[in-house]
Amino acid sequence: MTKSTILSGTDLSKKYGDLEVVKGVSLAVNEGEFICLVGKSGCGKTTLLSLLSGLEKPTKGKVNLDGREITTSSEDELALFRRENVGFIFQSFNLIPTLSAWENVALPLFPIKMTSEERRKRATELLGKMELGHRLEHLPSALSGGEKQRVAIARALINNPKIIFADEPTGNLDSSTGEAIMDILGKLHRDEGVAILMVTHEAELAKAANRVIRMKDGEIVS
Amino acid sequence: MNVRYMMKELYYQRRRTLMSILGLSIGIALLIILNSLSSAYRRAAHVPLQEIGADITVQRSGDVPKDLAGAVFPCSAVTIRKEEVEKIQKLSGVRGIGTGLLLWVFDPNRAWIVLGIEKDNSIGPSLLRSSVTEGRFLEDGKPEALVEQAYARQFGIKLNDTVSVADKKFPVVGFVDASRAAKIAVANVYLPLKDAEDMAASSKGLQSVSPYAPGDVNLLFIKADQEKITGLASEMKGILGNKATVATPESFLKLLGSLFALSDKFTLAASLIAIIVAVLIAFKTMAGNIAERAREIGVLKAVGWTNRNVVSQLMSESVIQCFLAGILGLLIALVASFGLSFMKVNIPIPWEMSPNPHFLPGGGDQVFKTLRLPVHVPWNLALFAILLSIIIGGMTGGLLGRHISKIKPSEVLRHD
Repeated sequence: MTKSTILSGTDLSKKYGDLEVVKGVSLAVNEGEFICLVGKSGCGKTTLLSLLSGLEKPTKGKVNLDGREITTSSEDELALFRRENVGFIFQSFNLIPTLSAWENVALPLFPIKMTSEERRKRATELLGKMELGHRLEHLPSALSGGEKQRVAIARALINNPKIIFADEPTGNLDSSTGEAIMDILGKLHRDEGVAILMVTHEAELAKAANRVIRMKDGEIVS
Repeated sequence: MNVRYMMKELYYQRRRTLMSILGLSIGIALLIILNSLSSAYRRAAHVPLQEIGADITVQRSGDVPKDLAGAVFPCSAVTIRKEEVEKIQKLSGVRGIGTGLLLWVFDPNRAWIVLGIEKDNSIGPSLLRSSVTEGRFLEDGKPEALVEQAYARQFGIKLNDTVSVADKKFPVVGFVDASRAAKIAVANVYLPLKDAEDMAASSKGLQSVSPYAPGDVNLLFIKADQEKITGLASEMKGILGNKATVATPESFLKLLGSLFALSDKFTLAASLIAIIVAVLIAFKTMAGNIAERAREIGVLKAVGWTNRNVVSQLMSESVIQCFLAGILGLLIALVASFGLSFMKVNIPIPWEMSPNPHFLPGGGDQVFKTLRLPVHVPWNLALFAILLSIIIGGMTGGLLGRHISKIKPSEVLRHD
């Protein structure tokens, strides 16, 4: 692994019973790089993203994230590692329905000892950057799809992650809102230097990425 | 644990929260009501004896009088010897003894139920002092009589009249209202114990059936340590023989016949069932609630919550819900107890303890002590119920939290 490599997966395989979803994939993400993982539904890209982010353990192979081998870590060690180094953006936003926008953003900070004011301040700053400063106290049910995803992006940034994993971040949005979200991700990559590994089945969205990796039947094809 | 998150979850998921609270509160209310009812019956069973200032009453059955003339002992209360009284007095747990002498006196024109009482003993029928409606109570060293108010009205007896009982004359110094007194050891006329003793000692008819000497009695009223009552009852039977009738709160409780009064075992079993029902309700509703939140738990874990963070969050929600359920259950139980306290309970007085000759009109009728069931929720039961609710909440939240925290975030988040 070179100095600029922040994430690397080596010979990763994942089996569910007899079905091998990811087949001996090796992949490296450099600091500040924006990589798009594209492929048809069911080709194994979301599973690969889960393996690389530590949400799931591979059947075979190793994952090294920010200089640390994570495949042998315990569940709790992985959780703490994700809290400190990783951000997630999901297709369905996955906001907590009972928490306001700022509280959703601050969700990763809840287990950390700090005052509510501190959490709120950090969440407010990020929501301001997402142009949602006027929506701080709104529940997710009162937000549009695009607003929800912007809240989710702010949540992914709350811990100043080295890398953001985005799984179909525009999948539930109309095309213009999707473009706006892609603009934000592109800006984050350019201005903040955050590495992004994004999964999408829409080849059009991959234009924003530095590098496009195509998957088919659990393998990287290009 | 994040308090803000917990409160918002409980507030915004009001329906879910209310269902959990209501379900568990019913179980907790049931537990409190069952135990309150049970202790109310226990308290009620103490009343007939408490009214004569005793915890135990003792008498002994004997032969039926041969001739209904002059002073005789009722067949349910014959001589208890002075030595036997002294033995009982020495038993461990006996705190004090009151004595009485119950006589049926058959004069040519009238039959009397006569009770000789110790005027200054706070244990026993001297408690009638508070039931004097007219005149005064008996005084020391004077041969005088108190007459029961209804009896006096029936036979036209006036205050300061002189009544003749077994050929001995007694001025009437007061009237007592027996309807306000205990149902045990009531009589038509109350005399100083010394005069009743003389009456019994000089009655040939009485002596021929049950030999009697001054100092002997036929009714004992005993104050005892509460926890020793049952043991003392059997020791007294050992002293007085098989024909002894020893009345205790426990014996009255058995006469009540209610399920709640039958035994501690019933209350214990019913309480256990109520607790199990409460736990099952809490477990089922919380399990449903937590299962609905699997995706949310997956998000928490994905963004860096450890298993311990998840468990403590869910446990805190569960404890708060169960605590609120405990409070609501207590309130329901308090309202129900207030309603139940209007219920009347009839405590049957055993025929042996009823002083009325059963061969006289109405004498064989069952006598009851009727009172309002003294239902109230003791503070220690209330505290126990609240603590139990919190423990149920902690256990339920902990177990379910540990179970759900094991889910892999990728499993619940992958199918967008």
